Amino acid sequence: MSALDNRPLLTLESVDQPEQQLAHYQQLLKQHGSPLLVFDANVLRNKFESLQKALPGVDLYYAVKAHPDSHIVSVIDALGGGFDIASAGEMDLLLKHKISGRRTIHTHPIKKDQEIRDALRFGATTFVVDNLYELKKLVNYRSRIGVLLRVSFRSESAKVDLSKKFGCSPDEVIELVSAAEKLGIHIKGLSFHVGSQVDNAAKHVEAVHACHSLMEQINLSADKPLSVLDIGGGFPADYALAGFDIQTFCAPIRDALSALPSDWHIIAEPGRYLIAPAVTSITTVAGKSHRNGFVWYYLDDGIYGSYSGQLFDHAVYPLQVFRGGEKHASIIAGPTCDSIDVVAENILMPSLEIGDLIVGHQMGAYTAATKTRFNSLPDAKLIVENL
Amino acid sequence: MKHFKETLYDAVCQEYRIDKMYFESKTSHQHLMIFHNAQLGRVMTLDGIVQTTEADEFIYHEMLAHVPMLAHGNAKRILIIGGGDGGMLREVVKHPIDHVTQVEIDQSVVDMAIEFLPKHSNGAYQDPRLNLVIDDGFNFVKNFANSGEAKFDVIISDSTDPIGPGEVLFTDDFYQYAKQCLADDGVMVTQNGVPFFQADELQNTQQRMSSLYSDMRFYCAPVPSYYGGFMTFAWGTDNTGASAPELSVLQQRFSALGIKTRYYNPAIHGASFALPQYVIDSLTPSTDNIENGQ
Repeated sequence: MSALDNRPLLTLESVDQPEQQLAHYQQLLKQHGSPLLVFDANVLRNKFESLQKALPGVDLYYAVKAHPDSHIVSVIDALGGGFDIASAGEMDLLLKHKISGRRTIHTHPIKKDQEIRDALRFGATTFVVDNLYELKKLVNYRSRIGVLLRVSFRSESAKVDLSKKFGCSPDEVIELVSAAEKLGIHIKGLSFHVGSQVDNAAKHVEAVHACHSLMEQINLSADKPLSVLDIGGGFPADYALAGFDIQTFCAPIRDALSALPSDWHIIAEPGRYLIAPAVTSITTVAGKSHRNGFVWYYLDDGIYGSYSGQLFDHAVYPLQVFRGGEKHASIIAGPTCDSIDVVAENILMPSLEIGDLIVGHQMGAYTAATKTRFNSLPDAKLIVENL
Repeated sequence: MKHFKETLYDAVCQEYRIDKMYFESKTSHQHLMIFHNAQLGRVMTLDGIVQTTEADEFIYHEMLAHVPMLAHGNAKRILIIGGGDGGMLREVVKHPIDHVTQVEIDQSVVDMAIEFLPKHSNGAYQDPRLNLVIDDGFNFVKNFANSGEAKFDVIISDSTDPIGPGEVLFTDDFYQYAKQCLADDGVMVTQNGVPFFQADELQNTQQRMSSLYSDMRFYCAPVPSYYGGFMTFAWGTDNTGASAPELSVLQQRFSALGIKTRYYNPAIHGASFALPQYVIDSLTPSTDNIENGQ
């Protein structure tokens, strides 16, 4: 028997005015059908502003991959944010909003020549590399671009390791910068990603210190000084509903950044922190049964849909039901035929009825972005509020 | 968007105020705008790069048309590759030619330019000597090269930048086929970027063209909206007499033509082949660059 699923579960007893919430969700389902993802633009605005306050002077580039949606892009655009992009599809999305390539950084460390050309046509001029093969690909375009060298600093606490696959070791930085100089390519700064959803900022701080000293050392002799530091992402979503405070989280990063020369450009690529809390999933219990001592609930959305992040992103989303009372060992399963399509296994919850709603919170990042079309089931429709 | 910021370079960019938007089209991978700017008149941009402005297009079009035409002295059959805005055609039809073929990849660019940049073509698309072909410039020269049709006295490649819809016009094969479309004493010219910022483009063109023509060189003119100082034009011909005609000969041809120009004159024609030293130096790059990156 699998271990108890102890994710946050909100029930009738744990929420103020659940009736109002329920009525709102039911109204949305009545209007748009089930399942849904509900994007509240005000939450995104609020998170963007909080992160700006937590990291003053840092330019924020929304990681489009976290949730490549047109409405989300329009909100970030209106807030004056930049965009971290990695593919032609993401560029097309920005082009629809007439967002200039000057407001983007192309962060994919591995690119085909056609992808570089597409990015240049789109207007991106900042590219990221982490090795000599990639640097050489940029020689033909060297007059147009500025390059960030991605350095690897792994965080032990990261739920998603982004330094295993990409990033050069700090020892290689000086050699690569000098190789680039010989190739006529301007390395304008360093970038790092400590990983996604980290517990604390210790690795950010270590990386900022290390990059600071590398850049200072290079700038003693470089033709063209390095002046950009991209501190990546990693800012967590509050999946534990524990009242995460971004100001506190970022305080040590602020301290580390305050030691940098004031004319350096500091940028960050937040995705999850901004968009996770702004999107809520609403699913409907389509079926129920009692099997092997568990109550099984079959939803109309699951691992192959909006909950795909539980598989690909190692996220565990807080759930909410609108029932109370005695709790039973339950299993919440998705709609596909596959046994892996289980949202929560061995979770204690009040008894639900067919037609009840199950709401997933903090479901904006790496959810719809990684959904599949398995079983040809319809996607959860994205509904926008407070745009 | 209230301002246009060019995306040609990372560390610097020119910014134009958009005073009135006349036309904007966004298709997959392509973003075209025509807008009014108080200083420059109507401005056309493609994929974040200024293509032409009403205020300074005369410099570009006069120099890319009149220099080869007047140097040749008896150019009757002309081929324009690209040039959908019609400015090149407007200058070419001022000459006593028999025929001009213009190859433009996209009819909608021509239609859009006639409607929103009317001063560029100024009626030239109505000229009875024009054969407008809607085709890829590369396909055209490839097919024409083996067609047995009468060759061209002057070929003008009025292309976009090497990255984008015009990229095939910067390949070895294009230059080879184009040469096969050119009469023995013909002249080919191409736009070649702003070497202050784009020295690589100059070297690439030199490598491609110098093996094809006994006389391959560059001439230049500053076009303000192509930010960065001199723009270069590549010149290729086997007709060595055309490259440096006597000033008196040019003066005679120019006055016989009886047209008013705003940048071109016979003295500028000759002088434009004198290159600034930084341009000459960038044509002979030190070899320890690309090959020995590691």
